[in-house]
Amino acid sequence: MPDKSQPLWRRYLRFWRPDTAADVDDEFAFHIEECIDELVAGGMNPQLARETAMRRLHELEQVKETCRMLAMEQERSMRRTEWFDALQQDVAYALRNMRTQPSLTAAIVVTIALGIGATTSLFSVVNAVLLRPLPYADADRLLTLRESIGGGTGSVGTGVFTTWTEESRSFEAATLVTGQTFNLTDGEPARFQGARVTTHYFRVFYVPPLLGRYFLPDESAESRVVVLTYGLWQTRFAGDSSIVGRSVALNGQAHTVIGVAPARFATTPLGPQLMTILTLTPEQRTNFGSHTMQVYAKLKPGVTIQQAQADLDRVAEGIRDRYPEQMELRGAAVLSYGDWAIGDYDTQLLVLLGAVTVVLLIGCVNVASLLLARAASRRKEIAIRGALGGERGRLVRQLMTESLVVSLAGGVLGLLIAFSGIRFLVGAGPAGIPRLGEATLNGAVLLFAVIATMACGVLFGLAPALRATRVDLQSVLRGGGRGSSSAVRDRLRAGLIVGEIAVTLVLLIGASLFLRSAWRLQQVDPGFDPTGVTMLRISLPADRYDSAEVIHGAFTRIVNEMRGLPGVESAGAGSRVPMLGTSFDVSIRVDGREGRDVVGHLRMITTGYMEALGIPLRMGRLFTEADLSTGAAPVVLINERFARAVFGESSPLGRRISGWVAGDEPEWREIVGVIGDLRASGKDRDVPPEVYTPHTQARQSWWNSHQRTMAVVVRAAEGVAMAPAMRGVMRQFDPLLPVFDVQPLERVIATNNAGRRFNTMLLSLLGGTGLLLAAIGIYGVISFFVSQRTHEIGVRVALGASTRRIVGVVLREALVLAVFGIVLGALASFWATRVLANMLYDVEPNDPIAFGIGAVVLLTVALGASLVPARRAARVDPVRALGSS
Amino acid sequence: MRRYAKNDGDMLQGTLDMLVLKSLQLGAMHGWGIAERVESGSQNVLGLNQGSLYPSLYRLENQGFVRSDWRMTEKNRRARYYAITPAGRRQLAAARAEWERLSGAVNQVLRMSEG
Repeated sequence: MPDKSQPLWRRYLRFWRPDTAADVDDEFAFHIEECIDELVAGGMNPQLARETAMRRLHELEQVKETCRMLAMEQERSMRRTEWFDALQQDVAYALRNMRTQPSLTAAIVVTIALGIGATTSLFSVVNAVLLRPLPYADADRLLTLRESIGGGTGSVGTGVFTTWTEESRSFEAATLVTGQTFNLTDGEPARFQGARVTTHYFRVFYVPPLLGRYFLPDESAESRVVVLTYGLWQTRFAGDSSIVGRSVALNGQAHTVIGVAPARFATTPLGPQLMTILTLTPEQRTNFGSHTMQVYAKLKPGVTIQQAQADLDRVAEGIRDRYPEQMELRGAAVLSYGDWAIGDYDTQLLVLLGAVTVVLLIGCVNVASLLLARAASRRKEIAIRGALGGERGRLVRQLMTESLVVSLAGGVLGLLIAFSGIRFLVGAGPAGIPRLGEATLNGAVLLFAVIATMACGVLFGLAPALRATRVDLQSVLRGGGRGSSSAVRDRLRAGLIVGEIAVTLVLLIGASLFLRSAWRLQQVDPGFDPTGVTMLRISLPADRYDSAEVIHGAFTRIVNEMRGLPGVESAGAGSRVPMLGTSFDVSIRVDGREGRDVVGHLRMITTGYMEALGIPLRMGRLFTEADLSTGAAPVVLINERFARAVFGESSPLGRRISGWVAGDEPEWREIVGVIGDLRASGKDRDVPPEVYTPHTQARQSWWNSHQRTMAVVVRAAEGVAMAPAMRGVMRQFDPLLPVFDVQPLERVIATNNAGRRFNTMLLSLLGGTGLLLAAIGIYGVISFFVSQRTHEIGVRVALGASTRRIVGVVLREALVLAVFGIVLGALASFWATRVLANMLYDVEPNDPIAFGIGAVVLLTVALGASLVPARRAARVDPVRALGSS
Repeated sequence: MRRYAKNDGDMLQGTLDMLVLKSLQLGAMHGWGIAERVESGSQNVLGLNQGSLYPSLYRLENQGFVRSDWRMTEKNRRARYYAITPAGRRQLAAARAEWERLSGAVNQVLRMSEG
């Protein structure tokens, strides 16, 4: 009886595999038919019998449903077992295959391992630094507040902070932070970088305390309490769990330790190690003249950054109205704390991650190419399996399993490599990268490694698997080796190699750009000469060096002592050395002009400073001993940038400027000289206008802002170690003064460039690895070409072609591939290198020289890699070649 | 018309399974035939309801006690035939032993005399 109730497509489906639902229907239908027969046999009218039976069938709908479900459950569990069995089979087969071709397997595993290892290491860093949310509560609401000035931003003044917090409506909490170095004198005297912060600091940056508590709102500087970071607690106090309540002497004053912040609170080792309370005096609260503080805040829930910016702009306008003299050029800038803290590092890290992924891709392409070649030799085996009834899908699955197993082996090895890779990156990376030290092989990183490994396996396994199973069974089993399939396979491999070359070119160009950038940086004249210069820094503690006279005298004496050391050519001290130290900016007025023209960085120096650093004098004169004596006329030095910006072409000598007031009147100082520009802030930023005053003419408040710190610089003959002698001078001068940052000036510069050097080194390393892999890939493909064309080459040799001709033919093949790849790569680079624009110094992202270098290197390597197979081709024995068809 | 009796609450699940297995022990048969066998074997006392018969058969198959395949009947209809498996035979023996024990105990209690 035909199944009228079943739709056509169901019936077709049952051709391929059992349809459980339909089976249930059929079974019940049969039952009903038997039932009808019996009724009719018992004498019932056939029509009535059918109706009765059909009614019965409807009543059984629920039962049918139950049966259908039971049947499907059974089906599913059977299919699952089948699937697992097939998988087991495939894996066993894959392992066996791997063992029969050890060198091929080893090559693949090592390539994948290196790629996965490198990529995972870098991902671990990216995860630790960029992807994880900051450890503080409500981290997405954290802000950095700065004053906007002269197109950029600057530190905040105490008066400004007070007004902002009083008059703005957008912040849940705000805190003022200023760096402070502390001498800890109980036990071994040592010096630590810390911070003085207002009491809301821990409301802005909150992580539950490890021990004790944080500051309370009603505590003040008088409470003399201190919070330690985890690092300091471990190194200085040996992780003593009874530290809370202990008294420690900070800069001579007893403070009570009230709490310890957990390890994740401090994101870099360069930050403050301990925090005490900063309480603003009434005078500070209305001080709009000095701007040296850091301000952080937390948005109220529901308020956006834009709203906060608008709010603070309003407050800033009010400030400008009330204090036009000092605040005329200043506004407010609201920045996301996360972005601020990361700075440039996100682009840099992502570029590195991109580069390393590219190397991994190149590795995969190489492996795919290798497997394609191997697929050729497995044609017979696969054909037999196909003939024995293996459907194509199953075969593809089996080959893919092989790829995945090999890939997994590579991945496991790669994890081991990643373990050391991460340690290397953490050690070699610039210390300023926040949370770099937290990079580790955690869950997220492992997950990434697994996914990357699987992706690799699929990537390099798919093409060979598909291609291998598209084999014409008949022709292969009959033993015919050549055919159109080999030509097609050639094209695919060739295509892969062209892609590989293109992508390698992108890497090489990136590396070249960085190398050229680094080279340019070397060429730049920093404006001073660090060779033979040693520095150290000293901070005079407030208790023993309180008045300006005492401070001036102390530094003068120290510098004189340094000059007396044997071997010293010149010595001096300054509030800052290039790249190290704080400076603060003042808005400058020029005598004879209206308004404020420029914002300059203010520095205090002794005599001998310029000479010791080798900063050239352009005009006028440097400071002399006469300028340092009491009662001398107030004088300043300015740098070229300042002179150009304010005075243009005319001479600034003799003109008077002022950035500060004495009573109601501006205090004028005469410009006596112009010195050369210093690339002080890291060599590649814009040079700021600078103003130098003799240290004896510095005001008390300036010393306080700088914490009475100066850097002493001593120039001696190159190679002479001055550090011990300098320390000796300091010990003699005041043995209780700890001395810090004792180092040759060249080391400061090197540290400053650490980030750039790290990038350049890594990119060059990756570029080199990519190049090596590409060379291997090209070698493989050309060798394959040669082996395919043995017959043809044999003919040529027999007809008298010279070695040169043969080599030429082969090299021409390679050249075609390389040129295609280079053109493609160049196009891709045009687009890709744009992202590097901010990281390069004085080099355009499309710098033609870098492109040229990359192309030439790649071409040379490509031809070189082809040379070996080319020479081999030329040595082909024509007899054997002709006989091998 | 006992075959169409809806009330099968008297039959315990396990007992039903046991009867099905027993009837299959006599030879492979489709669902309709199994119901007939039980009915005739019990002289029309027991009537198997399709509502409980088929779920029972499917469960027995999932448990591996019976297996099924499709065949043509003498009337040239396509039907699913069930056959008992070795595991099914063992299960039948165990269920039977259990039944004897249980019914024996029940009978013992019923034979308790009053007084």
